[in-house]
Amino acid sequence: MIVTKNLTRTYQSYTKAEGLSASIKGLWKRNTIEKSALLPTNLVINQGESIGLVGANGAGKTTLIKILSGLIYPTQGEVTVLGFTPHQRNPEFLRQIGVILGQKNQLWWDLSPNDSFALLEKIYNIPTVTRKARVDELAHWLNCEKLLTTQIRRLSLGERMKMEIIGALIHRPKILFLDEPTIGLDVLAQNKIRSFLELYIKNENPTLILTSHYMADISHLSKRLLLMSQGQIKYDGPIDKFIQSFDEKKHFYASFTEPVKYEIDLGFIKIPYEAVEISAEINAHQVTQAISTLLAHTQIKEIKIEERNFEDVMRQFFESQI
Amino acid sequence: MSCANFLNLRFSFFKLALKTQMEYRLNYITDIFIQPTLTGWIEVLLWKGVFLFSATATIGGFDQSYYFAYALWAAFVSRISANWMYEFKMIEEIETGSINSILVKPISFFEYYLYQFLGYKIGTAWISLIIPIGISYYFNLPFDPIHFLWALLLIALYLVFIFTISFIVATTAFHLTKVNSITIAKNLALWIFTGELIPIDLFPSSIKNIFLYLPFSSAVYLPVAFITKRVDFDTFKVGFISTSISLLLVLLVANAYWRFSLKKYVGTGA
Repeated sequence: MIVTKNLTRTYQSYTKAEGLSASIKGLWKRNTIEKSALLPTNLVINQGESIGLVGANGAGKTTLIKILSGLIYPTQGEVTVLGFTPHQRNPEFLRQIGVILGQKNQLWWDLSPNDSFALLEKIYNIPTVTRKARVDELAHWLNCEKLLTTQIRRLSLGERMKMEIIGALIHRPKILFLDEPTIGLDVLAQNKIRSFLELYIKNENPTLILTSHYMADISHLSKRLLLMSQGQIKYDGPIDKFIQSFDEKKHFYASFTEPVKYEIDLGFIKIPYEAVEISAEINAHQVTQAISTLLAHTQIKEIKIEERNFEDVMRQFFESQI
Repeated sequence: MSCANFLNLRFSFFKLALKTQMEYRLNYITDIFIQPTLTGWIEVLLWKGVFLFSATATIGGFDQSYYFAYALWAAFVSRISANWMYEFKMIEEIETGSINSILVKPISFFEYYLYQFLGYKIGTAWISLIIPIGISYYFNLPFDPIHFLWALLLIALYLVFIFTISFIVATTAFHLTKVNSITIAKNLALWIFTGELIPIDLFPSSIKNIFLYLPFSSAVYLPVAFITKRVDFDTFKVGFISTSISLLLVLLVANAYWRFSLKKYVGTGA
């Protein structure tokens, strides 16, 4: 369904020194620089897969989405999506994809959602009856039936995003590109949209390529993680496996019914004399030994061993890349 | 795509422009009535002043009624022939990256804006032209209704031509980002070339002939001069020939330039 071979993209930019004189010089001479946004990338994505594309700002994920959706040309390499070359913008290809760019309005600001959807009906060549049924269905799922006649510019950000989603799904796309679909939304709106997308993926099984800075979006909506850094894919596989392979550490907490009577060495931490609780990071293989030692030398009140969540692991990964 | 679907889609763009403009009623009314009426009024006053202090009753072979009629019609026809509004819109789409939402849909950016442009122009022209027709009859100014219909045809042809020029200017934004100054410079040049400022027949004959054979005279001078019986059909038909040939040329340039420029696009802001 999606295949890339040695896909690369470089951008041209120019540097300018500080000050007015540099601006004047820049009128006739500019120092052009090239920046690689995407290093040779090989990728195969099958039909129905849900991909979470994650990376820090400038990692190359939006560039990859732009190439796959046909917005920009690659500098080198090959790409086919649904058997088409995306940047040739074949109408048949464009009819089979849906795109949500979280920071851009795709519907018509001055029209009501219903007017916008009627226009999309003509663009995607959908029968009017089918379009109306589809809008009713999606609006019901998103609980926004009452907003369909209000001018889009008068809707809140969360309400607008619901309309954007209906607009992107109205033609039942085979591939859905979601670039930051929950950006700027409050927690309630984020949860609502996330739940809707989860339900939609389950029911209609599209191929999904999702980027988001919210790890909850990625972990709820995608099964396969593509982790990008500095224009390269650093990890490609299941999310669970990534968490396990990247770090085995857990969070360990213990409290005692009475202060510890002498110093105890657990290997990963030394419990000082008269301590009533401890809290530390622990490797998975050290857990059993730590509990045995504590049982032998202290009066345990409570023990908690917590898995590190996806967000923690991602943060640690990004910090290691800096 | 069937023929009916093809036409339906273009008609939807056509209606989109009207729906969008009518959302802002005051702006809509000002654009189609108040703005050209004021411009026409100023031009009529200027010509009245010129004739008041002139030693002769005619200038260039025409009396003041011809100049009043020209000034009146030029104000309304130039409003119809102008395309700064959609040119700025197209530039902004490219500059800000909001064009992305069009590029990911199975539509052509050129057609999407062309049919909106035509929709808005045709949808507003017939209302706005009621004023010069009424004034011409009321004050008995030179006016020929058959010539008027011919002039509308020439203006329609010119609209496609000038839109294509605007499309080329907007496409430059893929390379240079900020190109609004090109639009302003182009519009100033058109002010003279179209005959909006003063009738082209008042220029020295060598300049007049160059201006007449350029397609820009089809924007204001030729249709207005033909409506107000200032030129004959032989002169008028030059506009059809020059605009048709120029349209073919700019369409070829626009197509090649667009394809080349898309390769340079970086998908700004997405």
